[in-house]
Amino acid sequence: MNTKVNKSYYGYFFIAPFFVGFTVFGLVPILYTLYLSFMKWDGFTDPVYVGLANYSRLLQDSFFYQTIGNTLIIWILSIVPQLILALLLALILNEKFVRGKHFFRAVYFFPHIVTPVTLGVMFSLLFDWQTGSVNKLLMSVGILQEPFNWFNSPLWSRIIVALVTCWQYFGFNMIVFIAGLQAIPETVYEAAEVDGATRTQIALKITLPLLRPVFLFTFITSVIGGLQLFDSALMLGAGPENSTRTMVMYLYETAFKNFDYSYGSAVAFGIFAVVMFFTAVTARASKLKE
Amino acid sequence: MNLKKWFVATLAIMMVVSLLAACGGKSGDGAQDSAGNTNSETSGDTSGDTSGAPGGETGELKGNLVIWTFFDQVNEMAKKFEEKHPGVKVEVKMFPGDQYQTKLLTALQSGRDVPDIFDLERAYIGKFIDSPFVADLSAMGADELVQNYIPYVKELGVSADGKVRAISDHSSPGGFWYIRENAKKYLGTDDPDEISAMVDSWDKIIELGQKVYAESGGKVHLIANAGDVFDMAAYNVEPWVKDGKLNIDPKWQEYYEVQKEIRNNNVDAKLPFMSAGWGNALNDGSVVLVSMPAWAGFMVDNKDDKAVGKYGVAKTPLGFYVGGTYRAIYEKSENKELAYEFIKYIASPEWQEYNLNKTGNMPGNAEVYEKNLDTFKSPMFGDQNILKPYYEMVKAMPGLKADKYGEDILSKWRKVAGEGITNNTPYEDVVAAFKKEVKNAFPELQID
Repeated sequence: MNTKVNKSYYGYFFIAPFFVGFTVFGLVPILYTLYLSFMKWDGFTDPVYVGLANYSRLLQDSFFYQTIGNTLIIWILSIVPQLILALLLALILNEKFVRGKHFFRAVYFFPHIVTPVTLGVMFSLLFDWQTGSVNKLLMSVGILQEPFNWFNSPLWSRIIVALVTCWQYFGFNMIVFIAGLQAIPETVYEAAEVDGATRTQIALKITLPLLRPVFLFTFITSVIGGLQLFDSALMLGAGPENSTRTMVMYLYETAFKNFDYSYGSAVAFGIFAVVMFFTAVTARASKLKE
Repeated sequence: MNLKKWFVATLAIMMVVSLLAACGGKSGDGAQDSAGNTNSETSGDTSGDTSGAPGGETGELKGNLVIWTFFDQVNEMAKKFEEKHPGVKVEVKMFPGDQYQTKLLTALQSGRDVPDIFDLERAYIGKFIDSPFVADLSAMGADELVQNYIPYVKELGVSADGKVRAISDHSSPGGFWYIRENAKKYLGTDDPDEISAMVDSWDKIIELGQKVYAESGGKVHLIANAGDVFDMAAYNVEPWVKDGKLNIDPKWQEYYEVQKEIRNNNVDAKLPFMSAGWGNALNDGSVVLVSMPAWAGFMVDNKDDKAVGKYGVAKTPLGFYVGGTYRAIYEKSENKELAYEFIKYIASPEWQEYNLNKTGNMPGNAEVYEKNLDTFKSPMFGDQNILKPYYEMVKAMPGLKADKYGEDILSKWRKVAGEGITNNTPYEDVVAAFKKEVKNAFPELQID
């Protein structure tokens, strides 16, 4: 029988580069991490099989639970203002008659280009309680009488870490929202205008509902990204009573500072489980609304 | 048609091959490198023979050495060594920042593309010193090299079984640096010996600190941070781990109370070491006595020589040091003899004296201290013989071995106790929080 479908195998060559790259740089390290998580290994001697010991240690590790809490708090503190700000700016900058909107889009996107490490250092200098400009400004305006030690307060430390993340990502989310807004067909608006809808009605009844897929996208990516918060937080330190130590920072400390690679691997899988859980919750919650 | 098929197939294969080639690039390098090592192995052997021969002419050393470090001054070392032994080529690979130890450990584990000599910092030497990667230098005669060493510098390079396994070319003593004019104004003198006597106990420091604070109207503090006491106490106490048990030296309680006194009486400016405010205080004199290691002179603003003769250095109540770089030979290096010659060179008074004069790095060899005690001057310190206070302090420090826990546990103590000082927490609470942290990081330790 002669089929017309070309069963040539060359296609596999074309998709091979991705799979080879993924296997070497993605899959193998993941599997190796899994292997290590069942071992006891400090990097100097040969690994010894210990079964589930690392995982049972992880389940009893109050510091790990604390980092989950820290990460969630910081994430919530950053995601709420971030999305509100991004959405408002997107709505404004998507108006036809705003002058210099391209300029502002670029300006708001700038923080996203700066590396998180730089941002972390910058904010730690800004909020230094003795020499930082924030305290100096607040004191000269008269809001504070004497310098406030930001990084000695668990709440403020978390707020500052959240602020860094918020400042870094609102521009990116704004661009995503603008893209989403531009994808809404002009005709829908025109129909609404013809029907005599007010601007608020248009925003609430047309723009926001049609933006839902975009919302979902930013939300899920920021759940994943926010729970993996690391570099900028690392630059600001673990904070008082480890209140700004995030999950990934804990992983880093365990594996690469204490050289406890095996337990670090178990922590990595713990983080994986937490991120999966919250991603599933987010996806589920957004489906329920429909 | 056929031609087209061929073209597509070739293209696909090329893409895959180029990807694989990119991945394999590293191993290619490794192969090349090990080839380089084989080359030098033969010459290394000859060099071993020559130096082993009677009257061994060191000028005839030949071969290639690879050194890994995080410290740029190793380049200078390599240059001087090459000058002395024109037949030797030293390749220094520098990996700045704290990724160095991870990189080093990965290389040592895989055994590929490994250096002949690698540097270990004080902060993690304890983890490496008892590992199988580090060659036994005692077997090569290193005990002789360090016999005149400052005890603490020597001991940090000795493994648990008493063998020398790493050697440093410097000590890193600290002292109280002060701006002379400032000292005259607030302490009534700028003489280092008098000032040393004024602050030779914690009580005197607290009393003097209160006076300075009151007289300056709260603008000037005697010392930068209550945390400075951690530095001074750190290596004058019992090790943190004894026989697998956490061991908190009772002296820590005394130091903790002192630190709280210092903080509560405004003796310190609450400026953390190396923070921006700390750097300002060092240069503008809002802190009278800044405790800092001898190597931190780069924090002084010496533009247009404006800091020449500006500073003096006095003794701290306890001798201390901050950091230190140690050099070890890779156990499986095929180039050990030549590597040992390099270690020998950096342990020699010849290099250390050169280094002292060139960079101001304090020697590890006591001989070099003694020889230069009355002659060495550093521009920033005018006519003070700065080796004297440093030498007296480091000489008196106990020689303690580095273990895999010490530095990590110390940094946990610094963090927990540091927060305790800021929040005026009782000692018992600090100890409880500290024990919890240690237990979490090192579950294998026994903690009461």
